[in-house]
Amino acid sequence: MDISTIILTLVWGVAIGCVYILLATGLNIIFGVMKLVNFAHGQLLMIGAYLTWTLTVTFGLNAYLAIVFTMPIVAVLGIAVERLTFRRILGTDKLNEIFISLGLIYIFENVALLIWGDRSKQIISPFNNMILDLSSISITYDRVVAVVVVVLALVAFGLLIKKTKIGLAMQATSQKDTAAQLMGVNIEKIYMITFALGAALAACAGGLYGIIFSFNYQIGAMPTIIGFAIIILGGLGSIKGAIVGGLLYGIAEQLATLFLGGIWGSAVAFALLIVVLIVRPKGIFGVKGE
Amino acid sequence: MNNMNTQKISQFVRSKAFLVIVGCFAILALVPLFITDNFFLTLLTLIIIFSIYASSWNLLASSGQGSLGHAVFLGIGGFASAMIGGSIATALAALSGLDRLPIGVASVTLQVLVMILGGLISAGLGLLIGLACVRLKAWYLAMVTFGFSVIVESVSSQLDFLTHGIDGFAPATLVPKGYPFYILVTASAFASILIMYLIMNKFRLGLAFRAIHGNEAEAKMIGINTAKYKLIAFVISTFFAGMAGSLYVYFIRYVDNSIFAPANSFAPLIMAVIGGLGTVIGPIIGAGILISVQQLLALPSVSEGLHGALGGFFPGIADVGPPLSLIIIGVILVLIVIFMPKGVISLYDKFNSSGEREKKKAPEEKKK
Repeated sequence: MDISTIILTLVWGVAIGCVYILLATGLNIIFGVMKLVNFAHGQLLMIGAYLTWTLTVTFGLNAYLAIVFTMPIVAVLGIAVERLTFRRILGTDKLNEIFISLGLIYIFENVALLIWGDRSKQIISPFNNMILDLSSISITYDRVVAVVVVVLALVAFGLLIKKTKIGLAMQATSQKDTAAQLMGVNIEKIYMITFALGAALAACAGGLYGIIFSFNYQIGAMPTIIGFAIIILGGLGSIKGAIVGGLLYGIAEQLATLFLGGIWGSAVAFALLIVVLIVRPKGIFGVKGE
Repeated sequence: MNNMNTQKISQFVRSKAFLVIVGCFAILALVPLFITDNFFLTLLTLIIIFSIYASSWNLLASSGQGSLGHAVFLGIGGFASAMIGGSIATALAALSGLDRLPIGVASVTLQVLVMILGGLISAGLGLLIGLACVRLKAWYLAMVTFGFSVIVESVSSQLDFLTHGIDGFAPATLVPKGYPFYILVTASAFASILIMYLIMNKFRLGLAFRAIHGNEAEAKMIGINTAKYKLIAFVISTFFAGMAGSLYVYFIRYVDNSIFAPANSFAPLIMAVIGGLGTVIGPIIGAGILISVQQLLALPSVSEGLHGALGGFFPGIADVGPPLSLIIIGVILVLIVIFMPKGVISLYDKFNSSGEREKKKAPEEKKK
């Protein structure tokens, strides 16, 4: 095994890690602002991938342009989900979130199965089969573009959180919702925007996922779990932590796949997650006493 | 303590609840004699097996722990009992110079033994995983248990020499299928659900579970060793899950690593929630609803009809039944959690108590 294989694996790990970072960021703000755990987040990624595929195939759109159109559609879906289900159980037993998410997973996956069928699909991007050749390493353009798209999306997201009034209100709500409410923040509106943002990020991740990998209706579950693993590795509520965690995870998964074989990738990653959780039940950077 | 328990049990045996449970299972055991439909018998057997499984999850949840990886224990119990049962059966047959073990007293005893053994092995693993999990709460616990099921699923597909990986294998026939196996399933379900009922409602153990579920910090403060009781709940729950796994594997006559699939981890949760968390009858009702929806929509006649009616809309898929049944289950689950958080069983309570409440209300209104 020469050094270029390892470098290539690292580069792949970064590209895949970027997709997971987007998903994890969405999960992270939903958890941060609403204190809600949406186990069905990966299914929004799956829906995003399918919608992007439909837009490119039926309307002949450029795949990356299709992602831009997919994001608001999934954001609206996210709003509907938040309004109809999660808002009604906010403040009840924490286990109810898990139950609702499971119901949503069953609904989303099987509706997708009915609409799009059970054959695997892949989104054909304009850079299909184009390879960036750097002497000993060659990687596909799509993976490079994926990294660029993720960086752009994260920068835009960061600006939204730090520089706008809505972002400020979201930060306030995440610190203490009742206090934010007393300061005149309409927290129900903030919850809605937060969920829509998270869903849009998941849709973007889904489009990129569908360009890099082939996908079917069942792909949502693993990315959700990986997203949680990343959040826990990087620290709850921290976007920087999610980025570091995502890159670490992507590289670890690719290295495990390279050295041990494909099936071990997720097992190794989970072993890592379980060890972290058992040693530090609230995550590496988790706050004590929540 | 021991004396008190025996006293409680004898008190319970003479109570009405016990009579109801015995009566229900006696009727269940006799029903297939009158309705000799093959599909009906399969449906009933599956429902009863999954009642044990869902009840085991329910017992764990009653101590405030929600597992998303219970399929690990269902699968380990199934695999272990199928492998052990198979090798003992061949060894016994070889001893008596036969091709395979004839069905008789020996094989039935062996079936019961491997069922309990499957439960014990599963409980052993449950003890180990439980030790890792006692410090975790809510969705951290859900994540870790789910993670264990993913790991076990991928590792078991690699251990071909032990598990036959993805190909799977068929366990030996110890109890003939049909009515004899059904009786075995019903008797096991009666015993295990009765034990779980006693633990949850009559023993101090159940009181400790409920205290921990209500508020762990407070439970600790009043002197309950929360870690110990959470671990006990884990071990008891995984024992019965493993037992259910053994029955399941011997019933469908096949086992491969798909038994660890997430769908099998989610099933007991959905059953318990739909029927009524924390109650004894809830998981049984939930199992009945879930299995019935799944099996009815998978019936060839129903699925053909659905295909004729809906196939035109969904050209991408050959069989509309299974996804449709899962959508229905998902919708039921969401609706139940939002509108009926105590499950279907709360309908009965509402019905029952509304009359009493009116009686109580009446005198108060008079005072005003």
